[in-house]
Amino acid sequence: MKTIVITGTRKGIGKEMADHYLAEGWQVVGCSRGEGSIEHDHYQHFALDVSDEDAVIAMARTIKASHGKVDALLNNAGIASMNHALLTPASTVNRILQTNVVGTFLFCREMAKLMRRTENGRIINFTTVAHPLNLEGEAIYAASKAAVESLTRILARELAELKITVNAIGPTPIETDLIRGVPQEKMDALLARQALGRMGEVRDVINAVDFYLREESDFITGQVLYLGGIN
Amino acid sequence: MRHAANSLATKTALQILHMPDRTAIQSLILESVQMLAEDFELEALKAPNPQTALYGGDGSLDSMALVNLIADIEEALAEKFDVSIALADEKAMSAKNSPYRNVASLTDAVIERMPT
Repeated sequence: MKTIVITGTRKGIGKEMADHYLAEGWQVVGCSRGEGSIEHDHYQHFALDVSDEDAVIAMARTIKASHGKVDALLNNAGIASMNHALLTPASTVNRILQTNVVGTFLFCREMAKLMRRTENGRIINFTTVAHPLNLEGEAIYAASKAAVESLTRILARELAELKITVNAIGPTPIETDLIRGVPQEKMDALLARQALGRMGEVRDVINAVDFYLREESDFITGQVLYLGGIN
Repeated sequence: MRHAANSLATKTALQILHMPDRTAIQSLILESVQMLAEDFELEALKAPNPQTALYGGDGSLDSMALVNLIADIEEALAEKFDVSIALADEKAMSAKNSPYRNVASLTDAVIERMPT
């Protein structure tokens, strides 16, 4: 049975992806800041902050003891903040960088160690169309995801010898907590910039994840796939 | 749903009681080096001692073999001594000060990171 680690599984896309891969017969290991919300025999939950190095290391050691290895990692946990740059406090900047960049890095580092012997490891990071679209009001969020994209491309090279592919997905806005509070006119303007002008759905993300996870995708690494026709 | 028990405090207390000494840590490292030498067919590392050069200078490990060795040692420390540490180090790639330059310096690096 294959094991997939998904960060940020308490709600939103992370929870739906966890439900999906459980239904597909994977063992899913998830995490969130608080208690989990998934009840399933093949689901294990860790309550932690993804940027807490000691906690992530301890989680990896526990997974090694219980599952032996990890086949795939979905670095889904992330936070956003909409604000004008001149009104953004440094504490918000640090918080976003810690979760989105440090958290993604730590999970890549520790889970890659558990993928060493699978010969077919998959790491999928999450970015955003806010980066290529240079969206006003998202300076720090977009900058943090630009860092995730760079991390993805370089790790793809560093981990190639371990036969681990590292790719990223950039979803368009999806109805989740992350975009709650974004004014409708902003959302309409954003959708108008997509080639396919509809809101994204979780199934769109899962479809792209499935593509990266396929065994036949072992020649695809260092790629960033934006949904909705953004480039 | 199975929740990972967070008994960090109890675990730390137990670790202190059963803290491995330098000899035990060095043996674990020597064993890991030996196993890696078999896997990677590295003649120079098949019978290692504390002064055996590992990385940089006269060391026989390339960066990928080093990454594997470090991950092997971290796993072995967790399995044998129940400690979760990362041997990541800012000076990793420094020829002069890298903690990975030989078995003895790597032993020091592990001891430095053991929970106190």
